[in-house]
Amino acid sequence: MTEEEKESAAKRLWHNVTDTIYGMAAHDMSRAALRTRASMEHLFILITMGDLLGIPILPPYYSLRLLPYVVPQIATWKRRMLREKDAADAMFG
Amino acid sequence: MGFKDVFLQHPERRYIMFGGGGGVGKTTFSAAAAYWLASRGKKVLVFSVDPQASLTDIFKRDIFGKGPVQIMDRLWAQEIDADKHIRAYQQEIRQKILDRYGMAAVPEEIENYIQAASAEPAMEESAMFDAVVDVVMKGDYDYYIYDLVPLGHALYYLSMAKVYDEWINKVTKLREEMREYEEMVSRIRREKVSEQDEILQELLYIKNRINTSAGILTDKTKTAFFFVVIPEAGAMDDTQKAAKMFAQFDVPVAGYVVNRVIPHELLGQNIPEYLRRRIAMQDQNLKGLDAALGNRVLARAPEMERDVTGLPMIEKLADIMFA
Repeated sequence: MTEEEKESAAKRLWHNVTDTIYGMAAHDMSRAALRTRASMEHLFILITMGDLLGIPILPPYYSLRLLPYVVPQIATWKRRMLREKDAADAMFG
Repeated sequence: MGFKDVFLQHPERRYIMFGGGGGVGKTTFSAAAAYWLASRGKKVLVFSVDPQASLTDIFKRDIFGKGPVQIMDRLWAQEIDADKHIRAYQQEIRQKILDRYGMAAVPEEIENYIQAASAEPAMEESAMFDAVVDVVMKGDYDYYIYDLVPLGHALYYLSMAKVYDEWINKVTKLREEMREYEEMVSRIRREKVSEQDEILQELLYIKNRINTSAGILTDKTKTAFFFVVIPEAGAMDDTQKAAKMFAQFDVPVAGYVVNRVIPHELLGQNIPEYLRRRIAMQDQNLKGLDAALGNRVLARAPEMERDVTGLPMIEKLADIMFA
C-alpha cells in the first residue's frame, strides 16, 4: 500500500466515522430544524401572499414585491394550506 | 399671524399640504401657494396624488401622467397617473419572475394573483403614496406642494402605515428566525451558509418606503399642513372631527384657511334676498369658526367672480391669500 493509498483510506475511514456520528446524533436534529423552517416558510407565505387563498393581510402593493421570491413554493404551500387535516396529522405530522 | 407669515417664519417647512373635505378648494390653494412661492424666487413643484386630479383644469394644461410639467418660471406641476404606475410596477414584477427562473411565461396562477392584487382598492392608494416617495426623495425643488386626496384617504393611509410598520417588524422577525434555523442546519451539515436572505432585504426596503411616505406627512419640522374649510353648516363639526384625527396621527396642522367667503361689499349693493341670507348664514358660521379656532385661522379667501383657472386668476387669489 503506497503512502497515497494509505492517506485516502484514512480519509475514507474518517469520512465514514463522521457520517455515522452525524447519522446517529445530528440527522434527526437537522431534519427537525428543516421541518420547522418549512413550516415557517409556509406561515410566511400565508401572511404575505394570503390573497391567493382569499385572506388579504399585507397591502397588495408590497406583497407583489415579494412574489418573485416565493413562486416555486406557492404550489406546495397551497396544497399544504388546503389539505384536509385528520387525527393522524396530529399524531405523526 | 397671517398666511404669509407662516411661510416667512418657517422657511424650513418645505412640504406644504392642503387638506379638507371634497370640493373646498384644496387644489386652488395649492396652485395659489405654489404661484406665490415661485414668484418669490423659490423652485416649486405642486403635485397631485388624487386619482381625480384637477391640476390639469386649474393650470389649463394637460399634465396628467406626464411627469413634472413647467407652468412658469420656477413652477412645475405634476399629476401622478396611478394606473400607469401600477401597470409599470406589475410589468417589473413579471420580468423579475421570468428572469429569476428563466421562464418563458409567468405561470397562470401567479399571473392571476398579480391581476387580482392590482384590483384591490388599497392598491391605488399605496401606489400613489409610494410614487410620492420617489418624487420627494429626488429633492430637486425648494418646495413640494401636495394637493392631497380627500382627508379620509390620507388618514386611512397614515393609520395603515402604523399597522404595516408593526406588521413588517413581526414578519421580519419571523424571517430572521427562519434564517437561524437555516444556519443551524448548515452548521450541523458543515455546509456553507447560504447567501443573504433577499426577502429580508425586500422587507426592510418596504418598511423604509412606508415609513418615509408616512413620515413626510407627519414631520413637524419640514411639513406644514393647512386645513381648508368653507363657512357652511356642518363645516365646524367636520373640522373638529378632523382635528381630533390629525392629532391622533401627529399631523402637524399649521393653520386653517377659510374659502368661499361671500364678500361683504355686496351688502351695499342691490342684491337679492337670497344672497343676503347666505351672507348672514356665513357670518354666523365664520363667528363659530373664529371662536373655535381663534388665531389659527390664517386667511379668508373670497368666493371669486369666476372659476379659479389659468394663471391670472391664480395670481389674483394668491395676492388675496398672501396679502
